Amino acid sequence: MKGNKTGIFFVQGDEAIAEGAIAAGCRYFAGYPITPAQEIAEILGQRMPEVGGVCMQMEDELASIHSIGGASCAGFKAMTASSGPGISLKLEGLGWGIKNELPYVVVDVQRAGPSNGVATRVAQGDFYTIRYGSAGGNHALIALSPKSVQEAFDLTIECFNLAEIFRCPVFLLCDEVIGHTREKLVIPDPSKIKIVERKKPKDPPEEFLLYPLDDDSVINYPFPSVGEGYGICVSPYTHTSKGYPSTEKEHQDKMASRLTNKIMKNLDKLTKVEKKYLEDAEVAVITFGASARPALAAVEIARGNGMKVGFLRPIIIWPFPDEEIYRVAEQVDFILVPELNTDGQMVREVARASKGKAEVYHLGSGGIDTHLPDEIWEEIRRLKK
Amino acid sequence: MTTVAKEFPLLHPLVTKYLRPERMPHLACAGCGIGQVLHCTLNAVDELGLTPLNTVWVQGVGCSSRLSYALWKGDSIDAHHGRIFAVGTGLKMCRPELNFILFTGDGDCAAIGGNHFIHACRRNLDVVALMFNNGIYGMTGGQVAPTTPLGATTTTTPHGNFEDPFDLCKVAEAAGASYVARWRATDFKPLTNSIKRGLQIKGFAFIEVLLACATNFGRYVLKTGDPREVQKWINDRVVTIKKAKNLSPEKLKDKILIGEFMRRERPGIVENYQSLLKRIKEV
Repeated sequence: MKGNKTGIFFVQGDEAIAEGAIAAGCRYFAGYPITPAQEIAEILGQRMPEVGGVCMQMEDELASIHSIGGASCAGFKAMTASSGPGISLKLEGLGWGIKNELPYVVVDVQRAGPSNGVATRVAQGDFYTIRYGSAGGNHALIALSPKSVQEAFDLTIECFNLAEIFRCPVFLLCDEVIGHTREKLVIPDPSKIKIVERKKPKDPPEEFLLYPLDDDSVINYPFPSVGEGYGICVSPYTHTSKGYPSTEKEHQDKMASRLTNKIMKNLDKLTKVEKKYLEDAEVAVITFGASARPALAAVEIARGNGMKVGFLRPIIIWPFPDEEIYRVAEQVDFILVPELNTDGQMVREVARASKGKAEVYHLGSGGIDTHLPDEIWEEIRRLKK
Repeated sequence: MTTVAKEFPLLHPLVTKYLRPERMPHLACAGCGIGQVLHCTLNAVDELGLTPLNTVWVQGVGCSSRLSYALWKGDSIDAHHGRIFAVGTGLKMCRPELNFILFTGDGDCAAIGGNHFIHACRRNLDVVALMFNNGIYGMTGGQVAPTTPLGATTTTTPHGNFEDPFDLCKVAEAAGASYVARWRATDFKPLTNSIKRGLQIKGFAFIEVLLACATNFGRYVLKTGDPREVQKWINDRVVTIKKAKNLSPEKLKDKILIGEFMRRERPGIVENYQSLLKRIKEV
C-alpha cells in the first residue's frame, strides 16, 4: 500500500509507531536491529520507500542516531528506535541533538534490563536513563509514554509535532508490552491529523541567528536546513547565537539555560495526564505506560470493594507533571506507584512532586511480566491497613 | 570580529570568497599543514565552480575538524568524535544534490570512527573525506594514535608504542571506496587534483593527507619542535607508487606510499536508493 494509510487496523504497537511516523511526515528513519524495536525498522523498510522517504539500517546504534541528526539538519523529519543496551549507545548521539536543538524522535521500546537482560520481555527501567543519561546535563527533555496501540500512533505524531515546536529531540518511551500487543488502531484521514511542519526563517541569512540565546523560552523558532543559503553552523561545542564555538562563560550560561528553559518555562504546553476516579479519592495509584493497564484495573477492583482509590497517569512523562501530582498528594492519604523496575524511578519523581503532602510507596518489579491487577490491589489493601 | 578582514586586506582572495573572515585567523600551530590542505580544498572548489550554496562542510573532532569548523561560508556541520560518516550519511541521503566535503583526522576516522568509516566505504557514500594524518592525537596533547609508528614514544606510550599502525588507504580500498589517494600536505598540485577528482567521481572518495605536527608528533616522537625536521621525517619515508614498483619489499619496509591507489566506477548507496525509489514508484 502506497501513501498514508487510513482506516481501522489490528496491529502491534510497533507498527502503530511506524505508521504514526509516516503520518507525521517522517521521511528518514535509521535503526539497528534490536528486540523489541526491530519491527519498527522492518515496517519502515517497507513503508519509507513507498512514501518517497529513506530507511537506513546503519552499522550500529551510534550511527543511526547520528544519521538522523544529519537528516534533521537536511530538513527532514527523522526518527530512530531502539531498546535496552541500544538506548545506552543512543545517548551518546542524543547530546549532539539536544545541544544543537535538532528536531527528531527517538523511540525506546523498553525491555527487561540491565544490560541485555531479557530482550523479549517488558520492563520500565529507562525512565531516568533517557532523561539524565546524556553526559553533561544542562538540558531538559520531552518524553511521551503510550499505554495502548492507539496511543502509540497518536503520541508518535505528537512527538514529531513537539520536536518541531520545541526544536529538540523528543522521546517516545514505549515498552515491550505496548510494542508487541495487537489492538485496534484507527488511523484517521490525513486531513484530520494535526501536523506541525518545520518553521523556516523569514529573516535574511545575514540577520538570522540559528540559536536564540538571548531568549531562553522562545519556541516555534525557525530552523533552516543545509542548502538553503543560511550557512548553518552545527557543532558539539558550546556555541554563540550564530553557532560559532565559544569558551566564554556568557555563551555557556545562555546556552545551558536555553536548553533547559525552552522546555521548563513552557510547562503549560507540556502537561498531559490521564485522571480517573480522583474526585473523592483517599488513595491514588500513579504510573505510566504498560503498568497503567493493571493499575487502572486494580483501582477499579478497589472501587468495586468500596475503597476510594483514584488513578493518575502522566502521558507526557518528561517534563514531569509536578503540579498535577502535588494536587493529588494534597488530597490523598497515600500514593502507590507500581512500575517495572526495582530501583524506584517514577516513584522518586512522585515523592519529590508531592512535597511531603502524602506518603508515597513503590511497588517494584524487575519486569518480564507486568504486575497483575490483583497484586496492585493487594498492595493498596495492605497499605490502607 | 569582522575587523580582522579589514585589518588584513591582503587575506587570500580564496579566503574572502569562500571562508568567513570573522573566523580568521584559524587555530593551526606554526608549521602545521592544515592551512595548506584548506588551501588545496578551496582551489579544488574554485576550479570546479562549487559554491557555499551547493557545498556543505562536515567535520568531526580533532585538529582537522576544529580548524575547518564554521570557516566555510556555507553550511558547516560538526559531528561528535568519529561520527561524521554517520552524520554525513543522513545528510547525503536526504540531500543527494549537494556536495559534501568531510574533514576528519586519524583519531576521528581510524579509531573512534573506524566502524562508521568502513561502512561509509562499503556503502560508497557519495562524499569526499579528507583525513588529516599527523600520526598522533594533536588536540589533546600527543597521545598514541592508530597511525603512530611502532616503537614511537607518545604521552600515553612513554615506553614506546607496542601496536602496529593502520593503513587507512588499504582499508578504504578493500571496503569499497570509489576513489582512494594519499598525499603530503606539501604535495600541493596532486592534492588539489585529487580533491577535484574526489568531488567529481561518484561514490566515496577517501584522501589521506600526511601532516607534519611539530607541536606533538615532533615533540614526543621525534624530540624536536622544528616543523622542518618533522616534514623531513615524512619526506624520508614517502615513496610514490610509481617509484615503489621498482623497489624490493626490503626497501619498501617502513615506507609510506603516496599517490592514487584507486579510481573506479562503482554505484553507491545514493544511486542505488534512487533507482530503488524509481522502481517502487513504477510498480
